[in-house]
Amino acid sequence: MLRLALKNGLFRPGRTFLTILAVAAILAEILMLEGFLSGTYTQLRQAVIHRGGDLIVGQSGISSFIAARSVLPQRTRAEVEAIPGVAAAHPLTALSLIYEAQGRLSPIIVMVYDDAGGPSSIIAGRAPEGEGEIAIDRSLAERYGLGPGDVMRLAAYDFTVSGVTEGAAALFTPFAFITYDGLIDFFFASDVGADIAAFPLLSFLLVDVAPGADPAQVAAAIDAGVPTADALLPARLAANDENLGREMFGPILNLLLGLSYGIGALAIGLFSFASVRSRRKTLGVLRALGFTTRHLMTGVIAEALGMALLAIPLGIVMAGGLATLIETLSPVYLVQTNDPVGLWRTAIVTVFLAVLGALAPLGTLRRLDPAMAFRG
Amino acid sequence: MFGWTVKELFSAPQQLFASVSAVAGAFALVLFFDGVFAGESEQIVALIDRTDADVWVMQDGVGNMHMTTSFLADWKIDAVAGVEGVKKVTPILYLNAVIEAGGRNWFSFVVGLEPGDSRAGPWAMAAGAPLPGRGEAIVPDVFASDAGLAIGDPVRIAGRDFAVAGFSADTFSMANSITFVTLDDLADTISSVGTVSYLLVDAEPGVDAAALAARIMDEVEKVNALTREEFSARDYSIAVQMGLDIIWMMTLIGGALAVLLTGFIVYSHVTERERELAVMKALGVRDRAIYASLMVQALVIGLLAFALAVAVVSLAVPTTHALVPKISLAVTADSLWRTGVTAVLVSLVAAVVPVRRVLSVDPVSAFHQ
Repeated sequence: MLRLALKNGLFRPGRTFLTILAVAAILAEILMLEGFLSGTYTQLRQAVIHRGGDLIVGQSGISSFIAARSVLPQRTRAEVEAIPGVAAAHPLTALSLIYEAQGRLSPIIVMVYDDAGGPSSIIAGRAPEGEGEIAIDRSLAERYGLGPGDVMRLAAYDFTVSGVTEGAAALFTPFAFITYDGLIDFFFASDVGADIAAFPLLSFLLVDVAPGADPAQVAAAIDAGVPTADALLPARLAANDENLGREMFGPILNLLLGLSYGIGALAIGLFSFASVRSRRKTLGVLRALGFTTRHLMTGVIAEALGMALLAIPLGIVMAGGLATLIETLSPVYLVQTNDPVGLWRTAIVTVFLAVLGALAPLGTLRRLDPAMAFRG
Repeated sequence: MFGWTVKELFSAPQQLFASVSAVAGAFALVLFFDGVFAGESEQIVALIDRTDADVWVMQDGVGNMHMTTSFLADWKIDAVAGVEGVKKVTPILYLNAVIEAGGRNWFSFVVGLEPGDSRAGPWAMAAGAPLPGRGEAIVPDVFASDAGLAIGDPVRIAGRDFAVAGFSADTFSMANSITFVTLDDLADTISSVGTVSYLLVDAEPGVDAAALAARIMDEVEKVNALTREEFSARDYSIAVQMGLDIIWMMTLIGGALAVLLTGFIVYSHVTERERELAVMKALGVRDRAIYASLMVQALVIGLLAFALAVAVVSLAVPTTHALVPKISLAVTADSLWRTGVTAVLVSLVAAVVPVRRVLSVDPVSAFHQ
């Protein structure tokens, strides 16, 4: 039966190719959806991890870096630095602003930093060094055609782009970076200045622990010694944001994946059904020669499995290519199609769908009349 | 030729149904993906639209409610109230936070309300008190149900404990839920005493909202004022733009999938009927007529699939809302147009797939045994 399945596949190479291509496209689409979500979670994690520090101190009770606003009193830095085991505490402020240009509005998160927490990867120009300078993520730079030296008007204040960063975005929102010197200029020169007293000036502290100190113990000491603040290991804070992302996007991902798998089952069923229909006469001959429905069904399943096995690597390659295309055209998105767990899961489901889809022509095979083999 | 086209198309109704269903699935996926962003975009402006203030006042340099921060010194409440044509000013404090309850975490926008003033409060209640008191919160009913909350249960907002006083309806979505607390509680939580975020301004009867917004900007130092329509449009635009690129890419992927599926179906029709095509060619039917027939077949499949996808998604929107209320879906006219045009383009491209096969059919083969 396997040889027959192989011969059938090679008999109509055009159709076989189209079938493999279509199954691969479905697979690629599923991998893209999974990769889109996986990339979103990775960005949420990286937003925290890329800031550096052995500990991140935020407002008491705030367990999210990206989704919640943390406001720390100014004195917190001195209080944290006084805790045994703390080598240094670097301030970091996160501001949500809207960049408006060329008739478009883009939300951005401006990270204000001193000597830690700045851009982790600069691909053009340099990090901001003070007055009026800003480094922006590649997604923002490409969307608005901005590069080092260009003027970027943000909240009625003219920044000069000092550099372009990479991989600085989360929740479809690019990051920009300015220094505290830049923030002060921004506050006083822009329209924000009038209400500066109300503005949150310190969001987080990035803590370096002293050599040999245990970060977890230092975190506990900060929690006990500074009641207005909570200290978390960056990995824990990152996991909190990732889990929040999963809570937000999980239900819709499951819905879209369910739909995609349904399309896959329908499509493979369609291919098997069409394949059997086009070979009714050949299959009638086999039936006349004594092959049972079970034999014929085995052949159809083997054919569907063979196509699925060829489609899986092709689908993975297609998904990888599409992910690269999306990230090139719109770098605010990260599409990770190379997660081994996701790849295995999708491949196994595809094989299962191939078997399921191959059952679609079961009725036609049962009704095959051996006499049709002898008709003209 | 038309008769043959119709006959061929409906010769295997099961196959046609499977074909149309598979292609419809690809279109439905695009509509669903688009629907998620549209649903969120509609929810993002729910507070602005449902409270229906004539003018919104915010910090100068700010023109949106979401993904930004606005702080106004509270003396500006009286300054705005003193502008001619202003009937009422309602301040709110506003921030994004994570709500924790029943072991669940959820992202939410938190609105701080003046005590006893329902002007900017929840517009529909599922249960409980319509306004929060000190130390109380009104949470979305969907979140409450998900977290197993009852009236009086504790919730943690921005690290502070509140008691649930009521469940609001129509305030929940994947990324834009709204929770209400008192302005003083929220100010304490974010150490922002003496400031508010936005002012909702109701105009005196007969006062033009745009003129009033302009007057407020003239008379009150460093504020921005927008009519409700402008403010809502800007926030909606933000939400749409955040998903625009990925929606287009998903449309392309779904479209490519539909091309392959439709192409396969039309190609299968050709390979199964090579002898009939040979006879037709032998009888003088031109290749052009055969192509036209294939194109009609592809177009019928594409349009039937599109219609089925629209029907499925139209049914799925209320069903999803009932079964999985966490997901907000909305089907927009723009999305239908885009997918409909994609369906037509898909059909036209798919009809090209079997061209070589048609060309290779030899009329003489009609006379072979």
